[in-house]
Amino acid sequence: MTIAPKATGPDAADPTALALARRERARAVCDAEPEASFENVWHALILLEEPPLDRLNRSLIRGRAATVQR
Amino acid sequence: MDAPQPFSDREIAFLEALVAEGVDFLVVGLAAAALQGAPAVTQDVDLWFRTLPDPRLMRALTAVGASYLPPTASTPPLLVGAGTELFDVVVHVHGLDTFAEEAGRAARIRLGRVEVPVLPLARIIASKKATGRPKDLSILPALEDTLRAHRHTAGSDDPAH
Repeated sequence: MTIAPKATGPDAADPTALALARRERARAVCDAEPEASFENVWHALILLEEPPLDRLNRSLIRGRAATVQR
Repeated sequence: MDAPQPFSDREIAFLEALVAEGVDFLVVGLAAAALQGAPAVTQDVDLWFRTLPDPRLMRALTAVGASYLPPTASTPPLLVGAGTELFDVVVHVHGLDTFAEEAGRAARIRLGRVEVPVLPLARIIASKKATGRPKDLSILPALEDTLRAHRHTAGSDDPAH
């Protein structure tokens, strides 16, 4: 289920290299699925590199902050 | 120092208790989508139970010092007490098959110490489409694009499909 950060290919310690690799993956998805939004795919790929618990906490923190700001 | 996380040990302890008691439940809604990588925000974690009230659920609640408030004519069933505040009880999910059928194709996702059954992204999309409510329809592009990301970056056996 979890898509781990790419351990091979770009230097895992280099955030720019990781981002470039992720951008290529997002572009490949959008090339294959023209109706896809690059931004949505980009953010999904970032989230898929995190553990599920962190994904959930991100969602809850933002959801609860939005409620407070209403 | 790390900021406290909304979903932490107390919530995981409740899920552990559900699993330990053998309660039939699924994580559904946008929390389920977020667990599968969707860039979606939510305020709570929806749990769909096969049957309510369920003695096993009551035992799980007791184990974590929480309790169950049955539904009334104007209120849904509620979970009350430590570790349960983030959870909402869902008694029906639009546009889906029976609980047993959906549970049979659930994704299994690890949350800390416990692995929980989660409604797959494709089925979350089906339920959001079925409600037809503007707030559900507005999140569909993000959910569908996350599913597309899964298709092209994960194995074909990915449970989100």
